[in-house]
Amino acid sequence: MTSEVVSSETASPVKADTPRTFNSDRWLGLAFVAPIVVVMGFLVFGPVLVTLWDSLHRVDPMRLGTPFIGLENYRNLMRDASVLHAWFNTMAYVIFAVVLETAGGLAAALLLNKITWGRRWLLAAVVLPWALPPVVNAIVWMWIYNPSYGLLNGILQSTGLISSYHVWFNDRTTALLLVALVHVWRMLPLTAVILLAALQSIPAELYQAARLDGAGPFRSFSKVTLPLISGGLAIALSQSTVFAFNLFDEAWILNGSSLDTRPVLVQVYMSAFQNLRFSYGMALSVLVMFASLLISLVYVLRVYRETRYD
Amino acid sequence: MRRSLLSRLGLLICAIVLLMWSLGPVYWALVTSLSAPTDLVSASPHFFPPHVTFEHYRQLLGATSSFQGSAVQSVWPQFSRALVNSLLTSLLATIVTVALAAVGAYAFVRLKFPGRNVIFVLVVASLAIPAYTVMIPLYRLMVSLKLIDTYFGVTMIYVSAFLPLALWLMRSVYQSLPLSLEEAAWMDGAGRTYTLFKIVLPLAAPGLIASAILTFLSAWGQFMVPLIFSPTLATKPLTVLIPEFVSRNYVDYGLMNAAGILTIIPPIIVVLFLNRYLVQGLMAGSGK
Repeated sequence: MTSEVVSSETASPVKADTPRTFNSDRWLGLAFVAPIVVVMGFLVFGPVLVTLWDSLHRVDPMRLGTPFIGLENYRNLMRDASVLHAWFNTMAYVIFAVVLETAGGLAAALLLNKITWGRRWLLAAVVLPWALPPVVNAIVWMWIYNPSYGLLNGILQSTGLISSYHVWFNDRTTALLLVALVHVWRMLPLTAVILLAALQSIPAELYQAARLDGAGPFRSFSKVTLPLISGGLAIALSQSTVFAFNLFDEAWILNGSSLDTRPVLVQVYMSAFQNLRFSYGMALSVLVMFASLLISLVYVLRVYRETRYD
Repeated sequence: MRRSLLSRLGLLICAIVLLMWSLGPVYWALVTSLSAPTDLVSASPHFFPPHVTFEHYRQLLGATSSFQGSAVQSVWPQFSRALVNSLLTSLLATIVTVALAAVGAYAFVRLKFPGRNVIFVLVVASLAIPAYTVMIPLYRLMVSLKLIDTYFGVTMIYVSAFLPLALWLMRSVYQSLPLSLEEAAWMDGAGRTYTLFKIVLPLAAPGLIASAILTFLSAWGQFMVPLIFSPTLATKPLTVLIPEFVSRNYVDYGLMNAAGILTIIPPIIVVLFLNRYLVQGLMAGSGK
């Protein structure tokens, strides 16, 4: 690249805010980010624009031509029963996942913050599920949920909680919960780690001060801990929401294309790659993208604020 | 005193519950993979395999194996191909992603150039774009470039998917490095590029390791992308191959769990030996 040009110092103070600004900085900077721009442009932003454009057309490998049809795809999506079903399922996943991950992640983070010996190993054990391929997780849990020989039935029956073996995926609510549970198993570590980082940044003096003021453990939790981890909590919440929104692998492996548990992304896959209605699937994926962007606005705004001033 | 003993007991119980929740399913997969098929279909689950057998592993790794007396076709040819594919695509994606992020993030932090903030915000915002929004145009692009089912095609898609997070992470690493070291190097007449490679990158090594780990684990676990872009064993990874064991005449849970256990060995090694970097990466990656 242009490294040789750069190392010959052409120190002309273009901007006065940093003591040493090289005139060739702009070219070196552009050269450094050029590969990123190319990769992201070709493989992400270009395709996103194509998707936006095509979603307004009828793109269908089975039919001739790609006429402009305006918002017809979107209008049809609003009336499509299986699409609405899929949105409902995704909403259920988001609610289950966010509630369970936040509650479980907070509990795990508080425990990890408090424990003194073996913390390193407990943390490793907690993080492990996040590191495993979702497909393998789903297979392991599918076997646990097995109606005839599964661990879940075995444990529940031997403890007397159920009298006979259940076919868990026969009931829609249970099926949604069980799929969400596999997702929670994998994503809870992320919430726990984010909240642990937030907890560790709270100065110990604050707790001493709270105790001196006569605050019990619950009061100091609600008046000291919660406000001070609210930033981390916001990030953890937006992350769990976005990831639950993008749930695909677990539902696909555990229950295939079944309408009972089909999330929006499986619906996109079915429309586009199974039924070969490309632009219809694209329109749905555009809606998912906007919903996903809207939720992670917390995140994006934060990045934006940070980059604006420097 | 009694109270502290009680609270320590409480902590211990909580820790045990947490351990069982996190490791229980992995242990159960291990037990299943070591159990004889007849024990898997017994009336009640065994928490330890009654007769430890390596039958499932032999079927995955051996030339031939026998199942209830009759010879069973080994899946080693498919399994080994998929293993190589998983390793190659994940490692290639990791190398390219980390290299691009290491150089690019430096530019975003230390160099002033037109469009800097716009490019950065756009790239990071793309984290929120679901893979399926780009999948269909990407599929047609890859078909027209004849890159379907090639290492290059799959690797580049991984790079585009995992680059934003690596970039975000490396940027926070560079921001935390003191500028004074670099300034000292410039005083001595070193150029920007020399400073980056000889002074900044060695200091940023923990961050580089963290982004490498995050990228490798994400690529290793990918399913959606290869499901579409790796239709044959030329590039098909383990994550796509293993669920296909279902589509035989019966669901071979012993075999699937054994394959799953082999697949999670690399992530387990990472968590055991590099957990510090992984946790730092997760913390930094989430916006700390």
